[in-house]
Amino acid sequence: MLEFDGLHKSYGPNRVLDGVSFAVAPGSMFGFCGSNGAGKTTTMRIALGLVRADAGEVRWQGRSLDQALRRRIGYMPEERGLYPKMRVGEQLAYFARLHGLDGAAAARAAEHWAGRLGLGERRRDPVEKLSLGNQQRVQLAAALVSRPEVLILDEPFSGLDPVGVDALAEALLEQVRGGVPVVFSSHQLDLVERLCDAVGILARGSMVAAGPVAELRRRESGRLLRVVVPDAPPGWAAVLPGVRVVSEQAGDTLLELGPGADDQAVLAAALRTGRVAHFAWREPSLVELFREAVAEPAGEAAA
Amino acid sequence: MTSSGPRTPGSAALVRMVAAREVSSRLRDKNFIVSSVVILVLLLGMMGFQVAVSGGDEPSRLAVVADDGRLGPALEAQGEAVGVDVEVVDVPDEAAARAAVEAEEVQAALVDGTGPAPELVLADRDPALEAVVGGAVSGLAVSDRLLEAGVDLQSLPEVAVSPIGGEEGDGQQVVVAIIGVVLLYGLLILFAQFVAQGVVEEKASRVVELLLATMRPWQLLAGKILGLGLLGLGQIVVIAVVGVTGALALDLVDVPGELIGTVASVVAWFVLGYAFYACVFAVAASLVSRQEDLGSVLAPASMVLVLGFFVALQAAGDPDGTLATVTSFVPGLSPLVMPVRQAAGEVTGGEVALAVVLMLVTIALAVRLGGRVYSGALLRTSGKTKLREALRAERG
Repeated sequence: MLEFDGLHKSYGPNRVLDGVSFAVAPGSMFGFCGSNGAGKTTTMRIALGLVRADAGEVRWQGRSLDQALRRRIGYMPEERGLYPKMRVGEQLAYFARLHGLDGAAAARAAEHWAGRLGLGERRRDPVEKLSLGNQQRVQLAAALVSRPEVLILDEPFSGLDPVGVDALAEALLEQVRGGVPVVFSSHQLDLVERLCDAVGILARGSMVAAGPVAELRRRESGRLLRVVVPDAPPGWAAVLPGVRVVSEQAGDTLLELGPGADDQAVLAAALRTGRVAHFAWREPSLVELFREAVAEPAGEAAA
Repeated sequence: MTSSGPRTPGSAALVRMVAAREVSSRLRDKNFIVSSVVILVLLLGMMGFQVAVSGGDEPSRLAVVADDGRLGPALEAQGEAVGVDVEVVDVPDEAAARAAVEAEEVQAALVDGTGPAPELVLADRDPALEAVVGGAVSGLAVSDRLLEAGVDLQSLPEVAVSPIGGEEGDGQQVVVAIIGVVLLYGLLILFAQFVAQGVVEEKASRVVELLLATMRPWQLLAGKILGLGLLGLGQIVVIAVVGVTGALALDLVDVPGELIGTVASVVAWFVLGYAFYACVFAVAASLVSRQEDLGSVLAPASMVLVLGFFVALQAAGDPDGTLATVTSFVPGLSPLVMPVRQAAGEVTGGEVALAVVLMLVTIALAVRLGGRVYSGALLRTSGKTKLREALRAERG
């Protein structure tokens, strides 16, 4: 189990992480979502020892991560980084050795991963001569070359074309099948929904929702009601007790019903405004779960 | 997972890997190879120039007809006194002597040197050689006459020589030290720049984040400085060996032992100077994220280096002046100034030791403080980091 436990981090008065906790089981993929600046990168950097947490720790198989354990993590930073003038093969072998492989094993691993990711013929080229897509592949190879026990990838899909996305997804799924826990952050929620066993949504420095996508959906469903009332005046539902307006656009209204709210009362109110074109419970997409989760709490007061 | 699974490399192994990467990537860098070759060519050229300028140093060969055994030594002694190397060749008779001059085997031939009518046969006129021969012949004649007259030559006063400018050959040592300091300055700038460029390259390409996920900042800094330092040391040693061998082979120096001593002290000061400047340059470089910004952060440290260089040149002329004396103890300036003063023979072992200790203390401080700044600044890849921010952000 890869456990992130109660991480706190502040930069001066700016509180970046405020008790982030989640766990990733071996052989599962965890999608890490959150708006820009929510603290995803900081969380990952803490796991890699690049940032020191003010409180909390990250554990792998029950042991708090130290420099030796961190060497077993494959990492892809958000800011891609390779030596531009170093050859692909040598670069991969170098990173493999920094992770503890001996010279011969590192060379073999470098060759293997270069071949696997379609870089076999570019092994002797400096990285700067490669296309951006190929550089991204080298970056992934650098994360995988040391046969890591854990993968932590910061925005691995950003900047990839659809073919590249599929190739990367396949490579990650293979790691998962091999028993490696994979954590990656992404803004591409459809991808997260498709690939991940579990997701975590980070907002304002804490995990506002975490768990399997299906479970999150179930938790939210039965609470979201879509009502289309073309003739209703704006704000028609705001006065109903126990009801929160999630979105409202030209009468197409999404409502969240609190525990004590009565859906029949909502229907009655809707009918009072005129014609009701649509009235149904709906299962939220991950995008909606995300929007819902990251919405400012102050939104209750605002319109 | 196979049997060759990962193990945990220790600090030494990590530092070694970083150092090895620095060395191998520099050895493949065309600019580095070219600059190394240029330095060697310049050095050889300089020695060639020396040989050409002091071309008269080739010994003048002088044939002497039927020497009775006194003329040869007298000529050589006289030659040495006026600074002309004379090599005496015995020939049996006047005909052989003239033949040797015509064949240009010798520059001149002395016929009947101890007789009543000595004659110097020359291919071309050579005032220095003429003076040597004239002096030797007349000196010998005078002493012969005096001996005949019964004068006691043993009691003649001898002039005691006491040079004020230090021991003989110091001038030459200072020249060697100046050449050494020019090289030292050039290599310090070159290699400290390499370190700085390497630091910024890692920051600019963001590869530093990947590196720091596997090692601590100090290990990265140490590997970089050590790797490039070994390369720099290798280069200065090659230059020193080529220079000393060349100088000895071409006979450019009088006192080989002192030459080697001076060169060795220049090399030793390179090590100290490099350790300091590489650290300072690396730390300064860690504050910026683009090569373009490097100049501005390196300026203060570069100024110190340039200052040291000019003070060292000045010290060559006035090695025991106040400026030279004081600066030869100032850490940062001492690696450039002290070798010149050492070469001039103006310092005691104790003074050198004091300068070395001061320098070592400064290096230790630079490494400690610099390591903190470096750690704090490495992951701040946006624009320029302030020194104070970096110190505060150190992650330990």
